[in-house]
Amino acid sequence: MNTQALGIEHYLAGMRAALDDLPPNEVAEIMEDVEAHVAELSTELRENETIEQRLGPPEQYAQELRQAAGYPPRTERLPVTTKKQLLTRPRVAAWGLVIATGVTLLAGAASLKEPAILLVPAVVLVLSLALVHERGAAQQEIMNLPETHRLQKWLSPEAGTPADRAITYLRSLQPAWWLVRAALLGLGAVLLAGRDILGFLVIAAIAVVSVFAGPRAKVDRRWLWFSLPASALAVGLLFQMIDVTANQLGYNSSRQSYQAPIVETYQNIYAYDENGKLLTNVLLYDQDGNPINAPQQYYGCRGSDPQPMIPANRYPRPKIDYENGTCYTVAPSEDAPSSTQSTPSSSSGSATSSSVPPTSVSPSK
Amino acid sequence: MDTSQLLKGVLDMAVLAVLRKDDGYGYDVVRRLRAGGLNDVGDASVYGTLRRLYNAGMLTSYVVPSEEGPHRKYYSINETGRVRLAESRETWRSFASTLDGLLEEVAA
Repeated sequence: MNTQALGIEHYLAGMRAALDDLPPNEVAEIMEDVEAHVAELSTELRENETIEQRLGPPEQYAQELRQAAGYPPRTERLPVTTKKQLLTRPRVAAWGLVIATGVTLLAGAASLKEPAILLVPAVVLVLSLALVHERGAAQQEIMNLPETHRLQKWLSPEAGTPADRAITYLRSLQPAWWLVRAALLGLGAVLLAGRDILGFLVIAAIAVVSVFAGPRAKVDRRWLWFSLPASALAVGLLFQMIDVTANQLGYNSSRQSYQAPIVETYQNIYAYDENGKLLTNVLLYDQDGNPINAPQQYYGCRGSDPQPMIPANRYPRPKIDYENGTCYTVAPSEDAPSSTQSTPSSSSGSATSSSVPPTSVSPSK
Repeated sequence: MDTSQLLKGVLDMAVLAVLRKDDGYGYDVVRRLRAGGLNDVGDASVYGTLRRLYNAGMLTSYVVPSEEGPHRKYYSINETGRVRLAESRETWRSFASTLDGLLEEVAA
């Protein structure tokens, strides 16, 4: 059996050599046919019969095929192609795929914050696929690379061993993974929807196409340039979702968690210094210098003396006693919305403390 | 007479004819031709002919994965191929009858 397999490889190599003056994509198409042919014939061989006895030498097979196909007669092989090249197109393309998948995994973990980062692996993928796209669905040249052989050997342990059973089992889960992958990508797209419509569309499109890409890649290896990074992106998104959930559960409150800038409604903001002392008259601005105003409408305090207009972004806001028309600053224990919101935090970099003399700390009347 | 010389001229037509009803991969086509009586047909000639017909736009192809061994590439005839088959058939009919006529005269 082993010698037969060797015989097949040898025969196919002879064929490839005899056809190597033809365009690579045409050779790839021919070899797809011939590989299946030789493989099927080899199962019909009698004992001690070789492929060559059945089909004639590979050069003759190639010659007959060329004639029937109407290809030009064999031209002399260019001396350049006989040189062993280290950086062949299939090799560059294969490594491009591997690297882009790795980058997608890392980028996927950050993609909800910055979806544009996915452009990096996308460019690598497009370029590497462009190198080998015309070489046919089987991508036999990549399959023949020594590194691919090593990977295949590693992925196909001896039958019956636990490793073999594990891999067989994992293979059987593949269709389920395709669905899980689409679901993860879809969830990622939904999480992006509110903030980045382009990112949402791109990831949603990847989610939809990924459903088809899984089975397609079984037939046409070129789909791996989509399928593998899509898996990496799904796993990256999963990591990120786990991270976000963990942060929101408060396991990791010291780290800046992924969260849209505060979306809950709040009525007031209390800032504390590092000693836990309540700061008053703090003016808050965002990165553009716009005041950060709590959604509650601020009418100011009525008073007998003409009051300067109190800026709406000055915190804590005084509590207004409408009956008497007086303003107080009330400690957060009394009316802060919830305990988690009132925990002191020094992470807000946009707060600027005010030097304006207090006008609303004490009752104004 | 060596039929392999005759076969060269009509292999296109024979391949299109066996693909007329069902799609087939290369070795399938070889088997159908042999089952149809073309015992001398060479494997490589059939594969070459398939490539030529495909490149001429008369066949389409699709790959079907196989559990063991390499994928199989199936060929199926398209409209252009069917038109060509119909034309070839007409040409063949008239050519064969012409030749039959000539041979009758020889025999007479």
